[in-house]
Amino acid sequence: MTLASTRARRTTRKVVLGTAGIVGFLVIWQLIPTLGIISPEYLPYATETLARLAMDLRDLEFWRNVGRTMTAWFLGLLIATVAATVLGTIVGLIPFLRRATHTTVEFLRPIPSVALIPLAVLIYGIQIQAALVIIVFASFWQVFVQVLYGVADVDTVARDTARSFGLSRAERVRFLILPTALPYLMTGLRLAASVALILAITAEMVIGTPGLGRAIVFYQAAGDWVGVYSLVIVTGLLGLAINLVFRYIERKSLAWHQSVRGEEVL
Amino acid sequence: MKKFLPLAALAAASVLLLTACTDSGASPSAAPTEDDAATGELTTVRVAALPIAETGALWGAIDEGIFADHGLEVEIVPAQGGAQAIPALLSGDIQFAIGQPFGPIRASLQDLGITVIGNYASSLEEGKDVNAVVSLGDSGIVSPKDLAGKRVSVNSLGAAGDVTIMKAVQDDGGDPSTIEFVEVAFPDAQAQLDAGNIDAAWVPDPFMSQIVGAGGNLVVHPYQATVPGLPLLVDITTQELIESDPELVADFAAAMTEALDWATANEDAVRAAIVTNLGIPEEAAAGITLPNFTSEVNVEAIRELAALAIEFRVLDAEPDLDTLIQPQ
Repeated sequence: MTLASTRARRTTRKVVLGTAGIVGFLVIWQLIPTLGIISPEYLPYATETLARLAMDLRDLEFWRNVGRTMTAWFLGLLIATVAATVLGTIVGLIPFLRRATHTTVEFLRPIPSVALIPLAVLIYGIQIQAALVIIVFASFWQVFVQVLYGVADVDTVARDTARSFGLSRAERVRFLILPTALPYLMTGLRLAASVALILAITAEMVIGTPGLGRAIVFYQAAGDWVGVYSLVIVTGLLGLAINLVFRYIERKSLAWHQSVRGEEVL
Repeated sequence: MKKFLPLAALAAASVLLLTACTDSGASPSAAPTEDDAATGELTTVRVAALPIAETGALWGAIDEGIFADHGLEVEIVPAQGGAQAIPALLSGDIQFAIGQPFGPIRASLQDLGITVIGNYASSLEEGKDVNAVVSLGDSGIVSPKDLAGKRVSVNSLGAAGDVTIMKAVQDDGGDPSTIEFVEVAFPDAQAQLDAGNIDAAWVPDPFMSQIVGAGGNLVVHPYQATVPGLPLLVDITTQELIESDPELVADFAAAMTEALDWATANEDAVRAAIVTNLGIPEEAAAGITLPNFTSEVNVEAIRELAALAIEFRVLDAEPDLDTLIQPQ
């Protein structure tokens, strides 16, 4: 058996299993209201919800809402990633700073960023900036902590080698620290991307900035559960898409790294 | 070639979809064309209002051009309750908010510089009121005293709902201290009743009519039973805005008075505005009990509410209503 055919078979199996999973999920969903476990009034049928979703897809306002949510998500993630990478590298490279900030970071990190909503609204009002505060605060720590560990993880032998070869500070950052920290950064980025989406939608639901989250709350206020669940599906699909994209980016940017290479060779 | 097939399919699908495109967000207020010339002179004000049936008066009045006549372009910000509206007012991002009187009462106890400049809607003094405590038909809860020792839901704890319910139960001979209040959003109340997580729920229309229509008991209209004509919603702004731009506040108050008078006279237009803006079916909107839209603040009723809140230890000090309420 050739390597190519093994691979093709594996891919087919993956697709079949994935499809079976989705179908199974939809069947269970359809059965819950059908069997009356939860009244169809509160949990609409899967078929009804998917039909509504198909209608939504043709509505311009729906796409505008997707755009608004994704804009907040993108801006939030961008700000958080840049800030966390810069600060994480600086703090990670200077032991004094690392020790000085450790306790503060561990104190701030678990604070649910939703708790900061009143503060954000007090500063920025019901505007996208208030939503960004919430998104950035939550996703910042994901990247920051990873970069911190990544920068500190430089192999001692590699570091000594670099030193004996007389690499300058800039060269050390480029050839030693960056490659070491990159896998960590990528993991942090992927986690942050999901967290940022959750918070982007939460912010819209609670603050009332326009987007998918606010649309969900509107449908809820009108008792339109089909509308609510059709948008819930959309948020799930967005999360799935984001995860796929970031996995792809991670693989491409770390193609040289053993964690990625190992998967392919085996 | 294989790779291009899905792409081609996607392109074909998008073309198909786009040709059948709708736009539910298209602004319905874009219709009056003769006003467009004057649009340049309008001052934009951002007003927080809840996505509830009562806001129908405001939506309708905006489309009617009442605010434009007063030189105002109103942008409604659908704030989720007073918790977001008051910080947003203080930040200066929004100029006015329409909310329950309890938010400003709490704000005044904290000296936040929040002011009530007018009434928006009041509960009805007789007949079917705008909200009620309801229970399921087989629950055996039919009068206020039956609520003692039961789990009763309100949309937010420590506000007009639980305070007036406690008073109604006390007046009926029940012990209000034994009621267990639970926070449940209005749209979720029926599901929670059906699931048995709560015994009774305090809800406005359309939920009140839905639950009673499905065989539920209307236990009491707590506002009507305790403080008849209690203000439901009031117009809120900051002391700072009143001082810095008294003209704007006066214009807004004048426009609101006219809007509320218009709403009282044009109930059908208000219901139509509820249907378009809230996305609920026409039949449901037709059955909604509309409140008394009036700009006159019933200060005595608010004073009574505050006194009850102190009696039931929801508030721990008496608010300074003379500073808080400054009708414009």
